[in-house]
Amino acid sequence: MPANNAKARKRTAKGKPAGAARPAGSPASGDTRTAQARPGARAAAGNAGAGKAARQIRRTGMSTNLKVTLGVLAVAMAVVVGIVVVNQNSAPTTAAAEALVRPDSHRLSTAADGKTTVVEFLDFECESCLAAYPGVEKLRAEYGDRITYVVRYFPIASHPNAFNAAHAAEAAARQGKFEQMYKKLFDTQNTWGHNQQPQGAVFEGYAQEMGLDMAKFKADVASAEVAARVKADAADGENLGVRGTPTFFINGKQYTDQPTYAGLKAAIDASLAS
Amino acid sequence: MNRLQANSADLAGETGPDADTAEPRVLGERLTGWILVVGGLVGALAAFVLTVEKIALLKNPAYVPSCSINPILSCGSIMSTGQAEVFGFPNPLIGLATFPVVAVTGVAVLARLQLPRWWWLGLQAGALFGVAFVHWLFFQSLYRIGALCPYCMVVWVVMIVLFSYTTLYNLQEGRLPAPRRITGAALRVHSTIPTLWLLTFAALIGVQFWSYWRTLI
Repeated sequence: MPANNAKARKRTAKGKPAGAARPAGSPASGDTRTAQARPGARAAAGNAGAGKAARQIRRTGMSTNLKVTLGVLAVAMAVVVGIVVVNQNSAPTTAAAEALVRPDSHRLSTAADGKTTVVEFLDFECESCLAAYPGVEKLRAEYGDRITYVVRYFPIASHPNAFNAAHAAEAAARQGKFEQMYKKLFDTQNTWGHNQQPQGAVFEGYAQEMGLDMAKFKADVASAEVAARVKADAADGENLGVRGTPTFFINGKQYTDQPTYAGLKAAIDASLAS
Repeated sequence: MNRLQANSADLAGETGPDADTAEPRVLGERLTGWILVVGGLVGALAAFVLTVEKIALLKNPAYVPSCSINPILSCGSIMSTGQAEVFGFPNPLIGLATFPVVAVTGVAVLARLQLPRWWWLGLQAGALFGVAFVHWLFFQSLYRIGALCPYCMVVWVVMIVLFSYTTLYNLQEGRLPAPRRITGAALRVHSTIPTLWLLTFAALIGVQFWSYWRTLI
């Protein structure tokens, strides 16, 4: 009877200012029963004693709750801080140049002088990558072999076919058609992208169009080796600090502005001129 | 004297036969009422925002919801999945209809209105459904879709807190059958229960998206 308790509590507080404080929230019925059982002064004293005990228990009860909760939170905080510290120490910053372009990374063009290298970490199903794609293609056409252009996989798990697409591109790469598949996947992203169903059959259709050996293509798409190759690219990206796609590196330095044609062109020109 | 001793024992939480007469009430009307009011309102607000975003997304499929921050924190990719409308209509509509009931119950508790037992059992059933649903959504979000939606996470938190306190309050008031010893122990560490629950969620999220969080360190 919550309402009654509250009233009883209020009345008690007003009526008997000293010594008779009752356990806040303790049911009034308990008190009355005690009082009925032991009338007189001794009962009053007993009642006050019970009240005190209850108050104390209630207070320690409250603080136990708070203590335990804060303790749990403190432990959780300590674990998080520990994880952060450990990972900061082991944060891989060395061998960045090696991780940026591996010997087996796909180069769309190779500069003879090796002066400027652009690396793009991309996800074939990412909208921002598609938005950057026309600018990238324009730049590639303009600069041709004056720059080395490297494409690396960085499929993002929230895109249902990101891995399938990367596997298809890698399978095409194993038949020398990486660039064709790279273009095809972006050109058609709107037809297969953001679809919960696996789009493997669609990608097989593209492979067929390109005249690939279909038995080999299908075997490669399904192979653990291709999956590992895609994962290795993404792992390199993570170690290099790639957080989303597309992420560009120009001569080892991450390009942080909007990946527009003009922005990328300015960065490439600066690199060529240096 | 016997009576008094029994009473003291009950107060000390050492559960006696008539424990219900003298158990100190850990969860008062004020605490419980405010939790229900705030939880209900926050839940309703999150459901409302999700509904509005869903409508915007329906009007314009290219719309990018306000909470699509990056590939991991993304409402857009989640809202367009089948899991976002399990019962054939967008999930947030459930919250939009039910969270206000929780808030109103909280107001009634604060106003010290006496609600019948069946009302509390109804709230308990609703909270149970909500918390179970939230766990299913949590699993889908982490292990099937692979993204997190910030407003949905607000609902997860609210639902776990509301379920914890609705259950604890009902146990305290003797509306649910349970041994007094267990009830008393749970009530003594009432806020630890949702805290541990939510920390478990946080840990699972941390592990699942580890490769992403690592880049933020």
